[in-house]
Amino acid sequence: MHDGKWHWGGRDPSNSVSDAEQLLCIMYPASAVASFKLDIPDATADDVLDALSNLGDAVEVPRLLVRVITSYLRTYTDENGASLFSGGSYFHSDEPGREPTADQANLDVVDSFSMSVSLMLATIGFARVFRTTVRREDLRAEIDEMEALASRRLTAAMVGLLRSFTVKVFPPDSPAGRTLINTVNQGDAPPRIVVADLQRALREVRAGIRDFTIGSGRTTELDNPNRLFECGWAWGVVKDAPEIATDDIGPQPQGVAQPDPYLYFTVNALDGIADLFSERTTVLGLLSEEQVRLAQALRLRWELTQSYWATIGSFGQERWPLEDLPWRTTDEKESDYFSLLVTSMVVQDLHRRRATDSDLRRVGEILEELAERGRITRRATHEDQAIRLHEPGVGLSLDGSEELGGPRLRWQVSDYAAVVLKRALKVAGMARSTELRDTMTALVDDVWAHVLRRRIPSGDAQNLWDSPRNVFTAIDAKDDHQAPSWYFTERIVECLVEAANLISGSPLRSSRLAAIALDLLNEAEHLFDDELLSSSSEVGPAMRDSLLHTQASLVRAREVLSTRPGTAFVLAGEVLRELDRLTVARREATGAT
Amino acid sequence: MLVIATSDKGGTGRSVTSCNVAYRRALQGSDVCYLDFDFGSPTSGAIFSIDPVSRGTEGGGLHSYLQGKIAEPQRIDVWRQTDRETLRSRPPGAGRLVLLPGDQGGGEFSMTKDILQRCTKLFVRLLEEFDLCVVDLSAGRSYAAELVLAATAQQELRGVPHRWLVFHRWTRQHVIAASGLVYGRRGLIEAGAERGHDSQVLADSIRFVRTAVVNPDSEELAGLRPTQVVWLLDCNKDLQELARQHQLGRTMVLATIPLDPVLQMREQLISDRDVWASQIANAATVAAFDQLARRIADDAAWDEL
Ligand SMILES: Nc1ncnc2c1ncn2[C@@H]1O[C@H](COP(=O)(O)OP(=O)(O)OP(=O)(O)O)[C@@H](O)[C@H]1O
Ligand SMILES: [Mg+2]
Repeated sequence: MHDGKWHWGGRDPSNSVSDAEQLLCIMYPASAVASFKLDIPDATADDVLDALSNLGDAVEVPRLLVRVITSYLRTYTDENGASLFSGGSYFHSDEPGREPTADQANLDVVDSFSMSVSLMLATIGFARVFRTTVRREDLRAEIDEMEALASRRLTAAMVGLLRSFTVKVFPPDSPAGRTLINTVNQGDAPPRIVVADLQRALREVRAGIRDFTIGSGRTTELDNPNRLFECGWAWGVVKDAPEIATDDIGPQPQGVAQPDPYLYFTVNALDGIADLFSERTTVLGLLSEEQVRLAQALRLRWELTQSYWATIGSFGQERWPLEDLPWRTTDEKESDYFSLLVTSMVVQDLHRRRATDSDLRRVGEILEELAERGRITRRATHEDQAIRLHEPGVGLSLDGSEELGGPRLRWQVSDYAAVVLKRALKVAGMARSTELRDTMTALVDDVWAHVLRRRIPSGDAQNLWDSPRNVFTAIDAKDDHQAPSWYFTERIVECLVEAANLISGSPLRSSRLAAIALDLLNEAEHLFDDELLSSSSEVGPAMRDSLLHTQASLVRAREVLSTRPGTAFVLAGEVLRELDRLTVARREATGAT
Repeated sequence: MLVIATSDKGGTGRSVTSCNVAYRRALQGSDVCYLDFDFGSPTSGAIFSIDPVSRGTEGGGLHSYLQGKIAEPQRIDVWRQTDRETLRSRPPGAGRLVLLPGDQGGGEFSMTKDILQRCTKLFVRLLEEFDLCVVDLSAGRSYAAELVLAATAQQELRGVPHRWLVFHRWTRQHVIAASGLVYGRRGLIEAGAERGHDSQVLADSIRFVRTAVVNPDSEELAGLRPTQVVWLLDCNKDLQELARQHQLGRTMVLATIPLDPVLQMREQLISDRDVWASQIANAATVAAFDQLARRIADDAAWDEL
């Protein structure tokens, strides 16, 4: 906020993705962390209000949000009522000396679909609750309008996602086929066998894709059992994607994206889609009937895609393909970033299947290694290539974007550290054993320390992200690093939400510790009873206090034995020490020593 | 504007706070008068440090006026008559500050048509002359409260904004009691509706003021043991939830006045001198009075959600 006015844009000028990211920095925690509760002004926590005091008080903040979100929704709707998901200033030219044209800047991009899904769900939920605390007619009307616009944009974003899903089919002896086979073949089995094994492992995914009835990605080529394939999200609506019959959301744009899945856009789409069937979405009933239908179609793609990449990433009996860093895509590009993206999908898949700690541990080790290779937990040398993962980031050429005239576009992704943090948190949360939880928490702490150092040190955007120069001194100073990167900041906020939910859960309970605590407690109780028996009833106030205190500790220890065995352990220990003092003192008295 | 101060329990800090708010508002430049409607114990003279009327006046106060014994109630210019030297003489830019005391040994009385008429007339007249009239009622449901409810519902006062401040301390008992006074049976809203008020409009013109609140984060509590702080914070959270359930949550609160060491010992006005020169009072207390004085007349603060 500047002079009471909301300011859009940051390091990159305002666009549909960046603005959504900016709003999510508030709306995401507001919808996912209980104490945030901006939608019930009477219940918002004081420290949250302190932090947001720049935006107003408990009543002003939600009203401001209604206005700002509505303005976002209006800005990104065209005169025909179609929702705009344009990449705008996030699109770069992939050809030196040529600038993207205006038509190109208006192209829809998957990041925007995905961010919009999350933001619209947060918005609709916020509107539903906030409305109940509001009585003024004009304000209610504003909220209703915001909700209606948000619901419409949500449908449009889901349609966009359904029209940018893609399946790429290729024969095993094509370059793509050979790369894929090389990747999954970590032993030295003959390719023929590998292909047969792979086909078997992917049978269900293949069958699932062949059942698609709406959206892009439908293909007859999969009927040929000899073909290999890859599935996921292209960078935008794919060329010739059919329109989807649904509620009126305005004209659906022609796609231009070449139908190749990108790991980055796939992971991005999966994250957004997951919000569609979160507990909150279901409990609050945020989706309309039509949206539920679209969500089911997306869920199918979500499950198949995760299971496809998890199968590929952890294929075979030996070393996982994923453990063979760096990952190599079928269009023969290599990067640790791609390994990180595949890891993300494997983590999600393990979560869905409620995997065991042994699988989780393997993923955890990969994350640790990726953090090292990305120079997050290791120091970078001056000309370290790994720095480029963070600044300027990995460039993705957007094939097909040149069809509108103008240069081919590029998408720049520099969220390596944020992705490591997010997935490490996820694995920490899934761990069942204290050892694994401990290892992952240590990794989270290290990555967090790195991320924290990357905050912008001064100016308006102080303490927002991202200033990688603070860590990697080889990076040149640039003026625009004074402005916040909403792209990066939003991703860190997602991590913080994940962390908040992890911490508010109950601590892992160690059965070993519980057993020891129980033994200790038994001994303490026995000795305490003994003490009661042997001390006379006329013990004086000091002694009586001590005994009462001891007894209270024992009761408390019993109480928490099953939930917090560590605490019970310490309490029992204190009691034992106290009782021993009495015993020793008595022995002194009788001269036994 | 007419501001009516009330509370369910006695000793909440209603009088001390509203006197200080009247004083602050006058310093801010408004012409302010203060009407002591606590007929059982009209002690606002003491708070303004005007010794002759410290327990009500003998020269014909509000009590005598309402009963028709005199034509005009006595008025006291606080700037001129206060015993505290530091308060005497009106600072440049400040408005008038006038006290209408109650009668010594007055006692409660029931409302008649004549009394109602006189009361209405008085309000109309004062409102023409002053920017702000503060009416300090007694604790609980009283005849005076009935009278003011009835008067504000009269045709003559329809167009004039009147706002109710309900004072309570920040404890379980006080929260529940204050809620009862407003929303309960025979509470303000119900009684007001009977007197011809629109209950929604009336409800919108009521706000709560929390008095003598201990802020668990404040520096003064730095000496507390960690266990005490944890306990206080937890109680505070519980109270907030309780207040929310009783419809006096954050959005219904106009001000929170911190506990002040000076007011704990003595009922008085706190001057800027007390804060900056002698440093016996807390700056936060004055800041809270000052803010409340502004918010009383700030429509945005009374805006409904
Ligand atoms: N913010 C404060 N901090 C500490 N003490 C306070 C504060 N406000 C008021 N007090 C003290 O509380 C006591 C009661 O205050 P006051 O007489 O104003 O209450 P009241 O509600 O008007 O009481 P009554 O119902 O008797 O008229 C007084 O001693 C006063 O000085
Ligand atoms: Mg009083």
